[in-house]
Amino acid sequence: MRTVLDLSPIIPAAIVAVTGLVVLLAQAFTPKGKESPSAALSLVGLAFALASVWVLAETPATRGSVMAGALAADDFSLFLHALVLGTAAVAVLLSPSYLRAAGIERGEYYALLLFSVVGMLGLVSALELVSIFVALEIMSIALYGMAGMDRSRPESQESALKYFVTGAFASAFFLYGIALLYGASGSTSLVVVARSMGVLAPSSSLLAVLGAAMLLVGFGFKVASVPFHMWAPDVYEGAPTPATAFMSAGVKAAAFGALLRVFDSALPGLASRWQPLVAVLAMVTMVVGNLAALAQPNLKRMLAYSSVAHAGYVLSALVAAPGVAGEAVLFYLVAYAAVNLGAFGTIAALARGGREPLALRDVAGLASRRPALAAALTVFLISLTGIPVTAGFVGKFYLFRAAVDAGWWGLALVGVIMSVVSAYYYLRVVVAMYMSEPVGEDTWSAVSPASALALSVSAALTLLLGVWPAPLLALARAAAHSL
Amino acid sequence: MSPDTHLLSLLVFLPVAGAVLAALLRREWETLQKAVGLAVSGATFGFSLLLVARFRDVATMQFTELRPWIPTLGISYRVGIDGLSLWLVILTTFLTPLCLLGSWRSIDTRVREFVVFMLLLEAGMIGVFVALDLFLFYVFWEAMLIPMYFLIGIWGHERRIYAAVKFFLYTFAGSVLMLVAFLVLYKTAGLGTFEIARLAAAPVDPATQTWLFLACALAFAIKVPMWPFHTWLPDAHVEAPTAGSVILAGVLLKMGGYGFLRVAIPLFPDAAMRFAPLVGVLAVIGIVYGALVSLVQPDLKKLVAYSSVSHLGFVMLGIAAFTTTGVVGSVYQMLNHGVSTGALFFLVGMLYDRRHTRLISEFGGLRAVMPWYFAVFLLVSLSSIAVPGFNGFVGEFLILVGSWPFRPWMVVLASVGVVLAAGYVLWMVKRVFYGEVKNPKNEGLPDLSPREATVLVPLVALAIVMGVASPAFTRRIEPSVDALVRHVKERVQPVRAADARPAALPGAEVR
Repeated sequence: MRTVLDLSPIIPAAIVAVTGLVVLLAQAFTPKGKESPSAALSLVGLAFALASVWVLAETPATRGSVMAGALAADDFSLFLHALVLGTAAVAVLLSPSYLRAAGIERGEYYALLLFSVVGMLGLVSALELVSIFVALEIMSIALYGMAGMDRSRPESQESALKYFVTGAFASAFFLYGIALLYGASGSTSLVVVARSMGVLAPSSSLLAVLGAAMLLVGFGFKVASVPFHMWAPDVYEGAPTPATAFMSAGVKAAAFGALLRVFDSALPGLASRWQPLVAVLAMVTMVVGNLAALAQPNLKRMLAYSSVAHAGYVLSALVAAPGVAGEAVLFYLVAYAAVNLGAFGTIAALARGGREPLALRDVAGLASRRPALAAALTVFLISLTGIPVTAGFVGKFYLFRAAVDAGWWGLALVGVIMSVVSAYYYLRVVVAMYMSEPVGEDTWSAVSPASALALSVSAALTLLLGVWPAPLLALARAAAHSL
Repeated sequence: MSPDTHLLSLLVFLPVAGAVLAALLRREWETLQKAVGLAVSGATFGFSLLLVARFRDVATMQFTELRPWIPTLGISYRVGIDGLSLWLVILTTFLTPLCLLGSWRSIDTRVREFVVFMLLLEAGMIGVFVALDLFLFYVFWEAMLIPMYFLIGIWGHERRIYAAVKFFLYTFAGSVLMLVAFLVLYKTAGLGTFEIARLAAAPVDPATQTWLFLACALAFAIKVPMWPFHTWLPDAHVEAPTAGSVILAGVLLKMGGYGFLRVAIPLFPDAAMRFAPLVGVLAVIGIVYGALVSLVQPDLKKLVAYSSVSHLGFVMLGIAAFTTTGVVGSVYQMLNHGVSTGALFFLVGMLYDRRHTRLISEFGGLRAVMPWYFAVFLLVSLSSIAVPGFNGFVGEFLILVGSWPFRPWMVVLASVGVVLAAGYVLWMVKRVFYGEVKNPKNEGLPDLSPREATVLVPLVALAIVMGVASPAFTRRIEPSVDALVRHVKERVQPVRAADARPAALPGAEVR
């Protein structure tokens, strides 16, 4: 029997929050000129949080919902907990060398990262719209700070401001959507909303549809789907690269998790109304994201648009929700996190003296100078393109299979054709690394052991999930079924 | 469980293991890297001969192995071979060590990567020929693009990057449509499996079949390549290093024809039979067009590349006719083309190594300078233009005979291609080898080295053996082809009756 005060499901988030505070304090008590052990502390905290997730997963008695039904403690939330925490750990590994190179080594960075993780963990387990909103804000506000971490660079300032303004705009949509759904159903609890959707009066039904559309807009901003993506390239470009890696992988995981929960478990009654909307969003996002990426000479901007495009692929599976979408999306989020952390991480690992390899000429001939790094980046790019034997292929296969299964084979068609377009801009980087002569001296930084570990883990996971996806797919399936 | 159960997996994964081993060697140990490549691919060839020894001349799948892979979708690691794939596997394992040996000298930069990519390529190609699950087939089909892309892009000639990207995008674009077709078929059939044999038995309404067949056929037609989807081929062949060209012509192109026989036709028999005349027309256009373009090529390698378009046109004609004789001829012609065009690319590459040009006008009178080279070249040319006694004759003869019941006029036009082939090959031989040595650079060119002879002799020997002892090969091919033809003809009749029924687009009912 559960009580209102059974707090076991929030233990992971609590551990991360406490770690964030400890990191701040450690920074405050570190004498000037000494380095505070922020990264190490963060890693320890994240490891403990991951361990607690594992313990929770092994303890079926903790399943259910707590806090008067505001928080879910199901396989779905545990799956995404593990993903978010893992993403954060890899991002932390990538950070020290980059921050040192950029001269912004400050403990607040790690504290903000951890607070943002707390928001993400809340986002994937909240069962109540206001809680979702609060979690969304916790996550976002910490990220605004991270984006602006490199205060001396105007790009970083622009990044933070732009992210903040568009984020606030998105929040307004989100709140309005919550209000409308509340108006229609009389509750903000997803369970109650779901129950009332079947018995709506025609006037309330319109309210509910409008509310769902507003929520979709709010989520659309967070996952950077077209036409709510304008912030992404500037923010991704301006933010410190490990923060970008964390943002692109972590935010997508958390926001798509919440999106899936809201639309799959609260609004299935309206599926026939929002599915066409999602389909249109997916189609536009895939096309615009890929075509825009084609025109980007800057690697970070290219990856930013590519991340827009990938939001489109995920959306194309969401039209199959409720149904086979869940497992496809969950698997893809893992694959995408591994690959994106790796791709941005490679750029970050080479940064030196405030510069990082952003143009094609910066990576020209990388294969002869840094064979292992070039090979790893090639694996990530191949996976982003969606070619076997990588996680990206299995992920896309599942996404498009979900779309076809729901009868939207046109979406799958657009998706694969856009994958061909994407091959062109991903391959451009491979061409530069392997088939062009190096330009100038190799002035890039040596890869730090921590970054090397992070990149090896990402690359190994990318290949492993491509060759042997069955165990993770089974987990994703179980998680999706617990919704 | 007999060792046979794992033989095909061994053939697929031994090269992968070799690639990993080579990748771990230090960059400076180039000779060792080459030796590893040669030893591993040689061992793979040795093991593949066990297939020939233990193959039974029946239509059933042999050496099958089954392992669950992604059980929730009914995807499994399912491999096996029959008469369609047996010799193509052997062709692959046979050509790869020859390519590594043939490139021993000409590849002198980034040797380690070269060996790694060659071995991965071999694994991918064998995988395509042994896969019996659509997902697995697709995985190998796509995965193989990457090493080929690197082979062209890194070790190719002047326009290598353009050629590599074009090759990649062209073939990738074709195959992604095939992927959507597989997904729609999976949903439509509703069997919860990607096993080719079971899907082939599932009824699919003719309208849906049309779309799915066209999507698959596009992927395969690009690979073959059929006219008018051939434009990537001259670029890729000409710009690729010799080993790349040999593998491209020898094995990769065969995947197109094989894909038709293994996937497109058995899965969508009704649509395949309906589109057969179109395929036949395109095949004949390819035969004549390829031959005419070859006739005017000033560049040796381009000439051989365009002749491939013509030769593969024959293959597609036999497949379009879809008689047992015609299809056996097609499979046989795929092998012939691998042997003789592979040998021609080797020969052109050897000439390029000496002179760093491939322009026919640069040569003349080489017969006196390089007599052994000339002898081999002449034999290979004769095999390529299907002179009786050589392998090419058997294949083209079977195709022409087998296609006569289909469309006699196509056979007549295709025969024009045979004549033209003799024209462009013999004219080229005359310009390169006969006459006086006019160009002083050609004086004193060294004849074949022992290594080069070692590469060429097996190919020439095989061309002759396949010419005079063809039944040893065809009797293995025939039962499977016969079963395939019967399966398709049986499936087509009942579906025809359903043609009149109005059919919905795939997925339309859900919308």
